[in-house]
Amino acid sequence: MTDRNQLWGDLLRRGTRGDAAAYGRFLTEAVPVLRNIARARLPGGNAEELEDVVQEVLMAVHAKRHTWREGDPVTPWLYAIARYKCADAARRRLGRGGQGADVPIDDLAEILPDEAGGEITAARDLGRLLDRIEPRAAEIVRGLGIQGESAAEVGARLGMTEGAVRVAYHRAMQKLRDMAEDDMAAGHAVGEVERPGQIKGAGDEPGPTGRRAEAADG
Amino acid sequence: MNTDDLIAQLAQDPAPAPSARVEARLWPWLTGGLALTAAAFALLLGPRPDLAAALAQPVVAAKTLLPLLLAALALPLALRAVRPGARPGWLARALWALPLAVVALIVLAWLGTPASERMRLFIGHSIHVCLPAITLLSLPPLAGLIAALKRGAPVHPTGAGALAGLAAAGLATALYSTFCIEDSPLFYGVWYSLGIGIATGIGALAGRRWLRW
Repeated sequence: MTDRNQLWGDLLRRGTRGDAAAYGRFLTEAVPVLRNIARARLPGGNAEELEDVVQEVLMAVHAKRHTWREGDPVTPWLYAIARYKCADAARRRLGRGGQGADVPIDDLAEILPDEAGGEITAARDLGRLLDRIEPRAAEIVRGLGIQGESAAEVGARLGMTEGAVRVAYHRAMQKLRDMAEDDMAAGHAVGEVERPGQIKGAGDEPGPTGRRAEAADG
Repeated sequence: MNTDDLIAQLAQDPAPAPSARVEARLWPWLTGGLALTAAAFALLLGPRPDLAAALAQPVVAAKTLLPLLLAALALPLALRAVRPGARPGWLARALWALPLAVVALIVLAWLGTPASERMRLFIGHSIHVCLPAITLLSLPPLAGLIAALKRGAPVHPTGAGALAGLAAAGLATALYSTFCIEDSPLFYGVWYSLGIGIATGIGALAGRRWLRW
């Protein structure tokens, strides 16, 4: 610890006096330690989230490097900044309403139920609703939900993995249910044709989950 | 962005600007705020006519000296609070001596005042001036301090703001005490403390709002 403080103190002192190589080395050496702090402070965070936080800490260290005084031990200073930024990240996490990290929906592909045979409103409504979602998603729903094909068969036909088909199917069903409920609530005031790409439910799903799931279709 | 690339980018600019230091900002901002407070004080209140004679009495001098001491302790603590990893140390412990001293002064005054006089001295005649004056006179130095402390990196922004509030209120109260002619600790021990508490609360809110980084 003392050795580390001496070494880092020396590097940071040279850095703040203009030695770019020493400063870069200090930051590089700090990264593994910062990763450990981030991992401990943000339990369940995935690698991507933790790396984002580490980079935030690095930028904070850089922006506030003048608050370190030559002669002070470096580690308490560095760790305090890291803890502050991790607490910030943890608060943001709560603010997003997730108790944990975002789980990319691809990771759920294997545990999502194969929803073939899932319940949906009357078939005539289904046909009408299917016209309003993406053609490919509609194709998957027809295959799995109506014709009773397996996810693997539909996947083979569309050139997608079985997991990606399930994900897309799950999301399409969700969308259809939402649309059905909306129509119900609006007293079947359909008429208004939504343009492709402006399908209700497609544009207003926030967060990386949505983006990742779309990546899974493609 | 890749973390290594980020480091390479950051390392291109290793030395902080000398003007980035908190202390470089502190004195101009704080004296600016104090000048505003002093001007308002001179225009609206002004020192009591018998100031020199009054300050010769220790109990009266205490109402100016204790707030000054408060500012002298809270200011360096506020500066430490914006340096990550810095320990408050003995200064924080010394700070607690002040409320104890105030309580002791109040108790002594209580014991030394005839029962029939206690209420009259405690309520005094100028609470409606005292509380707003201390709060308002605190605001300019508080604003100056917050502006300066923004350069720092407080890991507890609310606490750092509260310390700034204490320091600003200490200075403002010391100034106000030279106007106020209520010399019993039964009055100033309670009402000055309340005014300082209000300013500290404002400082804490300001810190939470503006000292995040």
